[in-house]
Amino acid sequence: MAGAFLPVAAPNPTLEEDDMKEKLKHYRISEAEYERIGQLLGRAPAGVEWALFSALWSEHCSYKSSKVHLKKFASTLTPSVASAAGENAGIVDLGQGERVVFKMESHNHPSFIEPTQGAATGVGGILRDIFTMGARPIASADFLCFGETKADRMPQLVDGVVRGISGYGNAVGVPTVTGKTQFDPTYNRNILVNAMSVGLLLPEDPVALSAARGPGNDVVYVGAKTGKDGVHGAAMASESFAEDTEAKKPNVQIGDPFFEKLLIESCLEVIGKKLVVAIQDMGAAGLTSSSFEMAAKGGLGFELHLDRVPLRDLSMGPEEILLSESQERMLLVCEPAHFSELAEVFSRWGLDAVRIGKVRSAREMQIFWHGEKLAELDPALIVDQAPVYERPHGEWKSPRLRRADFSSARGARADAPPSTSAPTPSALEATALQPTALQPIMEQRLKSAAWGSRESIYRQYDQRVGGMTAAGCDHQIAVLRLPRSHRGLLLATGGRCSWLKRDVVVGALDAVLFPSLQMAVKGGYPVGATDCLNFGNPERPEIMTEFVASVEAIRDVCMALRIPVVSGNVSFYNETLGEGVTSTPAIGLLGLLPQVGCVGGEAATGENQPGDFFQREKSKLFLVELPWVEEENKLEWRLMSLAAAQTKSILSGIATQLAAIQHLVMTNQILSSQLIGEGGLAWGLAGFTKSGIGFRLERSTRDLVKDSLYQMVFEVDSRRQPDFSKLRALGLKVSEIGHTQANLIEAADWRMKVEEFWNQRRATMTELIH
Amino acid sequence: MIGIVRFPGTNCDRDVAQWVHEQGDSYKFLWHLDRVADLSSFDALILPGGFSYGDYLRSGALAARSPVMASVREYAERGGAVLGICNGFQVLVESHLLPGALVRNENLRFIDDWVELETVSERGPWGENLAASPPTLRLPIAHGEGRFYASDSELNRLEERQQVWLRYVDNPNGSRNNIAGVLNEKGNVAGLMPHPERAIFSWMGSQDGRRFFARGGTKSHAGRG
Repeated sequence: MAGAFLPVAAPNPTLEEDDMKEKLKHYRISEAEYERIGQLLGRAPAGVEWALFSALWSEHCSYKSSKVHLKKFASTLTPSVASAAGENAGIVDLGQGERVVFKMESHNHPSFIEPTQGAATGVGGILRDIFTMGARPIASADFLCFGETKADRMPQLVDGVVRGISGYGNAVGVPTVTGKTQFDPTYNRNILVNAMSVGLLLPEDPVALSAARGPGNDVVYVGAKTGKDGVHGAAMASESFAEDTEAKKPNVQIGDPFFEKLLIESCLEVIGKKLVVAIQDMGAAGLTSSSFEMAAKGGLGFELHLDRVPLRDLSMGPEEILLSESQERMLLVCEPAHFSELAEVFSRWGLDAVRIGKVRSAREMQIFWHGEKLAELDPALIVDQAPVYERPHGEWKSPRLRRADFSSARGARADAPPSTSAPTPSALEATALQPTALQPIMEQRLKSAAWGSRESIYRQYDQRVGGMTAAGCDHQIAVLRLPRSHRGLLLATGGRCSWLKRDVVVGALDAVLFPSLQMAVKGGYPVGATDCLNFGNPERPEIMTEFVASVEAIRDVCMALRIPVVSGNVSFYNETLGEGVTSTPAIGLLGLLPQVGCVGGEAATGENQPGDFFQREKSKLFLVELPWVEEENKLEWRLMSLAAAQTKSILSGIATQLAAIQHLVMTNQILSSQLIGEGGLAWGLAGFTKSGIGFRLERSTRDLVKDSLYQMVFEVDSRRQPDFSKLRALGLKVSEIGHTQANLIEAADWRMKVEEFWNQRRATMTELIH
Repeated sequence: MIGIVRFPGTNCDRDVAQWVHEQGDSYKFLWHLDRVADLSSFDALILPGGFSYGDYLRSGALAARSPVMASVREYAERGGAVLGICNGFQVLVESHLLPGALVRNENLRFIDDWVELETVSERGPWGENLAASPPTLRLPIAHGEGRFYASDSELNRLEERQQVWLRYVDNPNGSRNNIAGVLNEKGNVAGLMPHPERAIFSWMGSQDGRRFFARGGTKSHAGRG
C-alpha cells in the first residue's frame, strides 16, 4: 500500500513503490516497522540509517518477539545476583568475594552454513561477553543438537562443529569442561550449537560495565581490523533457511583465537588498572550495536568517525563498516588522560587502540565519514524504541492431557490428576506389550551413534588448562576448584530432546531439574542459571505458545529452587523450508560444592564426595526414585501433574527433596552416584562401569528400560547403611537393587563384559568421528 | 627463583606459576621481547604450553626466533636448567635446543587424555628429580601436534646417549619409540608433551607433577650456569 509509506525526503525523492519494497526486503524491515521509524524520526530514514535500523531492530539484536516474556525471569532474581541488568552477562555473588559471570548463547545458523567457523566464532563471542565485564573466563560448556547421523551433511557438521569448538577454545586457553551432545531427526536441517562461558571475578577484581559516561571521553576501538565478514549477519540469523545455505556463506564470520587471547589478557589488564570507563564487545551488528547501546545506556551520544576504523579491506564503505561482524573487536570509553597508558598496554600485547570518536553530552549519535556527517540521531530511538511484539500465542495444553481424553483440556488442567493417579487405560494396555527381553534392546542401542560414547568428541577439548578442573567432560557434571575459597564450582547443562518432544513444559522443567539433581547427588546445590531458548518461527502461534509456556516453566522451577536466571539468549527461526526444530530451551546451570575432595573414580579418599563410576566390588546399590513422570511405553506416559495447575506446590516439594538428597550425600559415605538419564536403569548403571567394575541386579525388564523423572543410584560400601529415613519421609522411594561385582554387567537377561560394553559404545561413535 | 617465559598466545603460564608456587618456590615472568643479558639469578627456566603467536606457521617456530629465546639459549649453553612443556617443548625443538620434531598427532586431531609414562633416563637435573621410585607416572596430555619424530639414525643416537627421558606406556599420538619427553646431550634442557602442572593435587586426578621438583625445590639440582 502506497499509503503505508511516509513521504521520502532523501536520498531519492522519486523512489518507486517497487524499489521501496526491494529496499525493505534488502534491509529486512517490515512495512509496519518502516512506519514506526518514520514516526520516531519525524521523517523517512535516509542513507546509513537504513542499515542502523535494520541491524538493531533485527530479532537477533532487539529480542522484539521475546522481550515481553523474558521479563518474567526477573522474578527469579535473588539478593545473590550482583546488579548487572542489561549487561552482557549476569553476575552471581558466591560469597567470600568470589563472583561468577556467565552466559549461554546460540550460534545455530552460522554453524549450519559453515560448521567449523560457525562454532568457533560462537565460542569466541560468548567469551567476549564474559571478559568484557572484567572476569577471566575459566570454563566453557557446549550444548549441541545434531540430526540423525545418516542425514545430509551430518557427519561433516558434527566433525566441523567439534573442530571449531576445540580449535578456538583450546587455543584461547579456556577449558571446555562439560556439555551435552544429542542426536535426533528434528535437527536434521537445523542443528543447534549453544556455547556457554563462565568467568570468575576475585575479590580484588573490578566489574566493568557498558554504559558510556563522561562527555569528552575518548571512544576507542581495540582489536582485530574490520573486514567485510558478517555484514548483515544479525539480520541473517533472524531468518529461516530456504534451501540454499551455500549462498549465505559470506555472512559467516571468521574467528582468530590468537587475537582473542591477546584481547582477553589486554582487556583484563586495562580493566584491572581502572583505565576503562565503559566497555562492550562488538558482537552481532558489530560497531553499530556496541556504540549505540553504550551511548543509549549512558543517556549520551557519540561522535563517531568511521574513516578512523582500522580496515582489513580498504574498499569498505561506511555502511559495511557499521555492520561488519568481524570478530575479536572491542569498543571502550576512556578518559583522555588515561589514553596513552591504555594504548601502551594494548601495544605490549600487539594490539592497536584507535580513538574513533568522543562521548557527547547530547543524546545524539553523529556519524562521520571523512568529515561528512552521514547521520545524526538519538541512540535511544534505535535501541530503546525498537519494536516490541506480543506475538499471537495460545494457552499451553499438555499433549499427554490432550491425548488422555478428558472432556476438555482446559478442565483437565484445573482438575489434573494428583500424584497418585492411576495410569490411563491405554497405558495399562500398553504395559502388556512391554518387552520381556533386555538383551536385544541393549544390543540395538550399542549399534546407534545416538547412544554412543561421547569420548571421541570431548577428547578433542582441552579440559584442564587453567589448573582448576577437578572433573571434566568424562563426568556427569563438571567441577572446578575455586582458587581462593577452594570450594567446588559446578557446571552442568540441561535440555533433553526426548522429553521436550513429549511435552515441552515437562522438558523445560527437566532442563532445570535434571542438572540440579545431578548436583544434588554429588552433594552440591545450584546457584544460578542461564538459558538459551532455541525455537522455530515466532510468527507461528503454535511455536510462540510453546515459547511462552517454556519461559514460564523455567521461571516457576527456578523460583521454587531459588535459582536466579541471570542471563540468556533467544534463537528463533530455527526452521528450514517451513519445518521447525523441536522447541529446545537449553539451560546452563552453575552450582557450589562446599569443598572439593577427590572427584571421580580415581581414588576413594574417604571425603564425602561420590565419584561417577563404581569404586569397589561388592558394594551395595541403592535406587532412589522421585516418581514424577514415568514412561509407560513409547506413546504414553504417566504425568504426575508436573505441567498442571498444582505445578508450584509440586515444585516446592521437589525443592525440599532436592535439599534432602544433597544432605544425604554430605552426611553419608557414598562411593559413587549418578542421576539416571535416558534409557532407564540398566543403561544408566552400565554408565557407572567405566572404572572397569561391573554390577548385578534383578528387576523386570520393564523396570530396567523405563524412562522416568527421576531415578538416582548410590553405591555404598557393603558394611554401611545410609540413613534414608528423611528421604522416605519426604515420599521418595528407596530400594536396594543389587551390588557391584568384577568386570561383568548382569541385569535381567542382559550379560556383557564391561570392556565389551565400552568398546562397542566407543566404536559406534568412532564411525562418525574417528 | 624460577623464570617463566611468556609468548603472546602462551596459555599455561598461570598454571605453571601455581605449580612453582605450590613447590614453595618463587617465580618471575619473562616476556617474549625481553632480551635479558644475564639470567644467572634464576634456578631454572620453564617454557609453558599454549599457542605461541597462534602457532599458525608451525608450532613453536615463531617463538623460537623471539628475542627472549636468545637469552634462554645462552642460559642453556651455560648449563642452566630449562624445561619446556607442550608448546614450550615445541619451542625448544624449533630452537634446536632439543632434538627431533613434533608433528601432528597420528589421528590428525587434538587429544586431551590421561597417559601413563615411564621414566627412562635419569640424567641431568630433571631426570634426577624423577628418578625416585616408582618408575611410572600419570599425567594429562592436551595437544594437536605432539607426535615426536626423528630419523632412524637420530633415534638410535638419542637412545644410545640416554636422551629419551619419558615414554608413553600406551602411545596416544603415534610418537616414534613412544617418546613423550627428551633431554639434550648435557641433560640440562628437557621437554615433554604431558602437563605436570595439571597434576599437583589429588582432586586434579594425580599428584605426580610434584615429582618434577626435587625435595626442597629445584635449587639443589638445577645449575646456575
